[in-house]
Amino acid sequence: MLLELKDIVIPTLDKKRIILDQTSFGIKEGSIHAIIGPNGSGKSTLAYTIMGLGNYKLSQGKIIFDGIDITNLDITERAKLGITLAWQEPARIEGLSIPKYISLGIKDQSNVNEKILEALQIVNLEPEKYMNRYIDESLSGGERKRIELAAAIAMRPRLILLDEPDSGLDMIVIEDFLNIFNKIKELNMTILLITHREDIGMVADYGTLIWRGQHLLTDTFPKVMVKYCAKAGLKEFCKRTLFDENRECPAFDSDYIDRIFREEGID
Amino acid sequence: MTNSKYPEEILQSLEDYNIDIRDFMPGHGSGAKLLLDFNKIKGLEEVDGVILEGREIENGIVADIIIKEGTKIEDPVHLCFGVNKETGLQEIFPRIIAEDNTEVTLQAHCSFPKANGLIHKMFGHFYIGKNCKFAYNETHYHGEKSGATVAPVAYIYVGEDSIFENTFNLTKGTPGKVKIMIDIYAMKNSVIRSTIRAFGKNKNDSIRIRDSVFLEGENARSIIKMKAAAKDGGEVLMYGITEGNAPHCNGHVECNEIVLGKGSICRARPFIRAIDPLSSVSHEASLGRFPQKWLDELQAKGLSEKEATQILIEAMLRET
Repeated sequence: MLLELKDIVIPTLDKKRIILDQTSFGIKEGSIHAIIGPNGSGKSTLAYTIMGLGNYKLSQGKIIFDGIDITNLDITERAKLGITLAWQEPARIEGLSIPKYISLGIKDQSNVNEKILEALQIVNLEPEKYMNRYIDESLSGGERKRIELAAAIAMRPRLILLDEPDSGLDMIVIEDFLNIFNKIKELNMTILLITHREDIGMVADYGTLIWRGQHLLTDTFPKVMVKYCAKAGLKEFCKRTLFDENRECPAFDSDYIDRIFREEGID
Repeated sequence: MTNSKYPEEILQSLEDYNIDIRDFMPGHGSGAKLLLDFNKIKGLEEVDGVILEGREIENGIVADIIIKEGTKIEDPVHLCFGVNKETGLQEIFPRIIAEDNTEVTLQAHCSFPKANGLIHKMFGHFYIGKNCKFAYNETHYHGEKSGATVAPVAYIYVGEDSIFENTFNLTKGTPGKVKIMIDIYAMKNSVIRSTIRAFGKNKNDSIRIRDSVFLEGENARSIIKMKAAAKDGGEVLMYGITEGNAPHCNGHVECNEIVLGKGSICRARPFIRAIDPLSSVSHEASLGRFPQKWLDELQAKGLSEKEATQILIEAMLRET
């Protein structure tokens, strides 16, 4: 496992409430691993905690990255080990050029321009249109997300945490993003994908279901999705999505779906 | 420029602002220019449609700059007010008129690389006519000894349907004692954009800037952006003032100031006033440190908090 969460508990900052309780699972190197669950279930909190943001501390448990206990490391130290995060709504830092922003995380600054160009191409942005621009209000939400992704890719991290990269994007753009995730995977980077959209998660190899602060299941993504749909009572949506003719069929049939829904008391 | 008689230190200081010095040396580059070495006029070149006249007075000059009606020029008019002495008094009295339907950029440089007791004063009057596009960019360098006292005052009238862009940069070197006052009067349908950037770097740096826009004409619009940082005991005070005095005028004041190190002080005093019921004026200010999310974003790329802060300061104070 590249990343292992061992019995972690994440409380609120004032420690009066538990956001995510007693959670253990691992993320395999080279995989796309989706965390799904409804809004407010603790998915983004989990990503921020793995990244090491100051306001997100464990009250229990350990985080192991490539065999190293990173529980007490800060955000910079974790980034230097090869973890990074692409934010759901990245900031628009007026005055910072796009190439400068992308270059910030590149350790080896030799041939840095080529590395920036490559990162822009991976996220399907034409470099000539962006090399002389700034991270400002002239960028659309979609462009800003792609630049954030390009900056993460340029770092060549071992693990990229993607916090709801699909939010605020239309379907055409989302299809493009799914292709970008596969390109990242081909570059031997592992993705932890936070999403509340089950169809986005279909790009993932594995999944974890977080439900109201509880870790319910970690398995292959289709099985996690069935469980999620069963919890949410979305049987038709589940079958339609899983057995979409454009997608590879999961390694189970509709009887499996019926059984999981029955376990949740839904016929 | 080694063949010029102009002090090399002044030219060098302007390179730090990425200004191509050839642009304003007489006989080089294109565009009109007025070049001052302390209180002596060292160069003056006009172009078609731009009248430049300078007269030396006891401690400085009176300069008249007139952009003739309908003149539209791409090359900036360069004004260089340099002093290559430690002490002395330089007083500049510019009178600037842009006649109707003109488009021009004035690029002013005030460089005092050896300042250590030097005083620079400016008392400027600008008249921008109707339907003009007028940009005034001023960059300052006051050396590294916090030894300058700089006090420019400018009164600016912006006529109907005109666009006036003001940019003031004091981000390189150590400012010393700086007190700036700008009053801009905006007439009907005019647009004002004013951006001020300053960086106080030690306890001998004290910067006070008052940037005011009076929206006097119907549908006049303005935005004042004030960006500053203070470190190691430096002090910055910014007054951003906007008055909405006409129907459908709209103004906004934005102030961002970053404090670095104990003993440094940043203060912002946005003052907005609306006396027309159809006017709209707003302000926002943030002082202290950068938003934690910005720091997190950069630290997630492997930067320390100190490195991330430095990058954000450079971005905030980047000259345009």
